[in-house]
Amino acid sequence: MAERFEIFNLNMKAGDTLKIKGKISEDADNFSINLGSSSSDLAFHFNPRFNESVIVCNSKCSKAWQSEHRDHHLCFSKGSSVKFTIEMREDKFQVKLPDGHEVEFPNRHSYSKISYMSVKGGFRVTSFKLD
Amino acid sequence: MEQGLVVTQLDIQPGECIKVKGKILSDAKGFAVNVGKDSSNLMLHFNPRFDCHGDVNTIVCNSKEDGAWGEEDRKADFPFQHGDKIEICISFNELEATVKLPEVEFQFPNRLGMEKIEYLAVEGDFKVKAIKFH
Repeated sequence: MAERFEIFNLNMKAGDTLKIKGKISEDADNFSINLGSSSSDLAFHFNPRFNESVIVCNSKCSKAWQSEHRDHHLCFSKGSSVKFTIEMREDKFQVKLPDGHEVEFPNRHSYSKISYMSVKGGFRVTSFKLD
Repeated sequence: MEQGLVVTQLDIQPGECIKVKGKILSDAKGFAVNVGKDSSNLMLHFNPRFDCHGDVNTIVCNSKEDGAWGEEDRKADFPFQHGDKIEICISFNELEATVKLPEVEFQFPNRLGMEKIEYLAVEGDFKVKAIKFH
């Protein structure tokens, strides 16, 4: 997956909510939104896959992927504009999908601050907001 | 100035706009918004100074090529106040970059002839709240 963009010095803390808006490309196989401290250490990898019709979530420690979570609720489609809300808590990440469905993923490595974010694959970010 | 939010691998084309929303800290000495190719090659360094480097209430604009600063350009207007929530809109074409604020806009020549913006960085006493690309 091509690196769409990367953000450094994000300074997202437990209790903060990140709102991301963007457009899924017509030919997207999948895309991912990644939050952590660097590309090698991710607290939360959020990866909708259109070819498998699944949302895969995972974390990464020193470049090694951990065990996957799979959620078969894929409520958006290629070519559409979507908005995600990712809330960071001390114990988990909670993503609100466009239809209101929520995906949760534990904050396995007890991150208290997220400084890095990247977006890969067929998703073009049009805005992000940190509250 | 302390390095703030950095966004890389952007693909902003002429005529498109980057909107940066945020808050100027109540004790701000200065802040800067940089756009360009990378940290060493900037189309525009937009640097409002409340009180730093010997400047008071002055906007200093500059470019950077291969790590070397160009010639500074100082603007007469200073439409910023401590604690303000502001929205800065940056766009460009082959000739110049434009910074739009609610009541005033500034131009700065596109000295390096950049054809896209790939890098955005915020420095100093400004807390970014949201960024939009369109």
